[in-house]
Amino acid sequence: MGYILEGLALNIVQALVLLAFAPLLAGIISKVKARLQKRQGASVLQEYFDLRKWWRKPVILTPYTSSIFILAPIVYFMTSFLAAAMVPGFLAGQLTISDAFVFVYILALGRFFMSLSSMDAATAFGGMGGAREIYISVLVEPAVMLAILINSLRYHTTTLSGMVIDYDGAYFTVSAALACVAFFLVILAENCRLPVDNPDTHLELTMIHEGMTLEYSGPLLALIHLGSMLKMMVFLTLFGALYLPLSVPLAVKILCCAVLIGVVEILNNKMRLFKVRVYMGAAIVLLLLAIIAE
Amino acid sequence: MNVLLGSLLVYLVGALTIIWPKKLELTAHYAGMLCAVAASGMTAFSGIAYLIMPKSALLIDASWGSYSLIADGWSGVFVSITGIAGFFISIYALDYAKGYLGKRIRALTGLWNLFLLSITAVLLAGDAFTFIVAWEIMALVSFLLVNHEAGNKDTVAAAYQYMVMTHLGTAAILIAFYLLGSHSASFSFADMMHNNLDGIMRHIAFLCAFAGFALKSGLMPLHIWLPNAHPAAPSHVSALMSGVMLKVALYGFGRFVFQFIGMDVFWYGLLVMLVGLVSAFLAVLYGTMEVDMKRILAYSSVENMGIIFAAFGCGMVLMSMNLAPLAVVAFTAAMVHAFSHSLMKGLMFMSAGAVMHAVGSKNIEKMGGLIKKMPYTAFFTLIGAMALSSMPFTSGLIGEWLVLQSFITLAQQAGTPELRLLVIFAFIMLGLTGAAALGCFVRLYGIAFLGRPRSHIVENAHEQPFFMLLGMGIAAFLVVAAGVVPDPVVNVMQSVVAGPLSTPMGGAFGIIWGGSGHYAVYSPVLILALAILLGIFIAAIFIGTTRGFVRRDVTWNCGTYPTSRQQYTATGFSKPLRRAFGTILNPQRHTEYLRKDHDYYGRKMKFYLEIPDLFTEKLYKPVQTWMIASSSAFRHIQEGSVSLYIGYTMLAMIFVLIWGVL
Repeated sequence: MGYILEGLALNIVQALVLLAFAPLLAGIISKVKARLQKRQGASVLQEYFDLRKWWRKPVILTPYTSSIFILAPIVYFMTSFLAAAMVPGFLAGQLTISDAFVFVYILALGRFFMSLSSMDAATAFGGMGGAREIYISVLVEPAVMLAILINSLRYHTTTLSGMVIDYDGAYFTVSAALACVAFFLVILAENCRLPVDNPDTHLELTMIHEGMTLEYSGPLLALIHLGSMLKMMVFLTLFGALYLPLSVPLAVKILCCAVLIGVVEILNNKMRLFKVRVYMGAAIVLLLLAIIAE
Repeated sequence: MNVLLGSLLVYLVGALTIIWPKKLELTAHYAGMLCAVAASGMTAFSGIAYLIMPKSALLIDASWGSYSLIADGWSGVFVSITGIAGFFISIYALDYAKGYLGKRIRALTGLWNLFLLSITAVLLAGDAFTFIVAWEIMALVSFLLVNHEAGNKDTVAAAYQYMVMTHLGTAAILIAFYLLGSHSASFSFADMMHNNLDGIMRHIAFLCAFAGFALKSGLMPLHIWLPNAHPAAPSHVSALMSGVMLKVALYGFGRFVFQFIGMDVFWYGLLVMLVGLVSAFLAVLYGTMEVDMKRILAYSSVENMGIIFAAFGCGMVLMSMNLAPLAVVAFTAAMVHAFSHSLMKGLMFMSAGAVMHAVGSKNIEKMGGLIKKMPYTAFFTLIGAMALSSMPFTSGLIGEWLVLQSFITLAQQAGTPELRLLVIFAFIMLGLTGAAALGCFVRLYGIAFLGRPRSHIVENAHEQPFFMLLGMGIAAFLVVAAGVVPDPVVNVMQSVVAGPLSTPMGGAFGIIWGGSGHYAVYSPVLILALAILLGIFIAAIFIGTTRGFVRRDVTWNCGTYPTSRQQYTATGFSKPLRRAFGTILNPQRHTEYLRKDHDYYGRKMKFYLEIPDLFTEKLYKPVQTWMIASSSAFRHIQEGSVSLYIGYTMLAMIFVLIWGVL
């Protein structure tokens, strides 16, 4: 009983740490992009200010909405938080809840409610965003499953905290390198970044994640944004801890990844929606090779 | 008095509803349904009691001449599933079937009892004869129930298609029984266990059994009857057919594989696994394209049976590699998923019935905003939809998690590149299926229950009567209970499959699986506790720090008022997937101009989309064409002319005489 509570406490502390730094990470990515575009850009703390602003505003609801519309952001944020509790991060020790498949399905719970809410406001844009989100998730899911499979083959567990890269062993293998590249592609797709989705645009025809959140305002919008930023943080932590075969501290890895994402976003355009098939196909093939090479 | 035998008698009493006087129709219905409720309650009780305390002689061991009923752990599980699902669906039917007053309701209720009786009898059969008789009664009764609304042309077509297909399946099973029985002392299951069938005949027996039971459980390519028959039946019948009857096929297949045929041949398991995986993915893809609520659910049944059979096949593969302790996880996964599917599919078909009752249509394109008209039904449906998308805290994820763990187990053992590729294929399929199932049920729920009404039929929708809600409520409660506290279910299933081989699976806070050198934990209670804590925390901060006022205002719609026609449609929602998997689905678009005054305005057109079933087009239709062509070729020798027939007789005699001389 004692070790369960201890592990659970670790889970919660870790999630709080990730939560505290998640907006900073988003701010850093924006800053990198701005500097590369030769702009001054907003402060790296801008996301914190935005959250505070939204938190103080009233909620405006469309008259057609139901309780699902209010429930969805809370569930979405909650799933991001639970996911953050599950990843092996800065704290050493066995986490109590840390199963990889549960991690995937916890995130799916958030997607389930966000896609539902997209249809609740009875507008065309919401449904469009929801439909595309589902489409992308269908393409991403096999890659995620294979990414879990490869680490589970290597470390004989499906517990995320048991899959952390083992620096003592021979960790820099062909298989690890391939999985690393593939998982980076997965991160971009899963977190709605370029070239799959454009997080900056509010142009109806191109947006996916933003389309679903179009009708939200005030604290509910703040929860969704915080949830998304936390999810990004969670995925980068996971990437650093599980897939990036470099022996530097995790915080440095995450920072490098943030810069890399900024660079990738500057260098790429958003691809056509139906080209995402090819993109995710590439990730799946890389993972396939990685598993064969393992 | 044996409780289980008693429950069979109560079913028989309930079946007497058929011959009650017509004046007392409603009384007859209530009496019959109450019999069904009581009897299935008794079945569930004795099944569960048997599983918990196997020593107690609650189950039957009886025989009458060449017919016998016995029970063991394997049938105990399915008897419990039948009892539990039968119980809540019968409660639901108390009110639901009242919609058939004046439409042969006595037959409906009486046959309902017979249906439950025959299912239970199949599960308890102790020899091939009893099995086949009960199996045929089950097929016939379910045919009559599907055909209940015989005024509708589509219903009749679906019912007869079901009849033909199910008899093909029975024929295959008969062949398997014949082959096994003729190589053992008698046709009783106890003797058939010691059959000496081997070589090619054993392969044929396996293939026949697999074909027969796969047909009954709707695996592709033998599924074509299922998406037609399940929607055609009254909703409580669909719930029982999908929730329970499909599992009976799993029961039969399991008995064949475990006891009669064995699992030492590698390709047996491989075949089952591949058919299961492909069925799961294709079915969910077709389901996502449908707009008929019950057809979506029917395809989802094919999907879930596919996952169950895939896990079962994974267990068979592990058995053929002599890894019995690991195969236990796979078989447990198959059974837990079967149990959870009986709950969630029962629940969803009941809510489909409630929605049909309320709006009078199955087409989700005409619904929308039902959550405001029928909040309780909407809540229960949400739980069902979450369970079918394998969301956490529902029984759906318990089964799915174990299935994934069993495939990981197989992966750990997969030394050769071929086996690795197989495992990779399995994970790609499971990933696609999982995500597409989520999309399928988000779409179903979002279009039908959320947003604004898409047509006027929603205006008159109303909440459902008490017993319907009670039935759905029990199912929803069980789905959540089994999802949050999975250990009892998992442990019972595991002890049935494994016995002494068991590896620890249930723990104090969820499922713990540690075999084959890999280790995994899923503790839904802890995660739920954390989630609830967090929810309270968010709510507290929300109330404490925000001004907390909510304004209602119309959505900005570029200066116009939004209309309900501007919402996304169900067809539109599945468009990206339809396009991405267009090579499989091959959608046919038809546009007809009703009026076309000018190229750009004044047009009125009709657009419809058709997605032909891959197997119907590529497999069944060519066979049908060939059969019709060949029979019309044979028609020339049977033209009705008497002199020709006399000629044939003479030719035959000459042939026989020559044969005799030789």
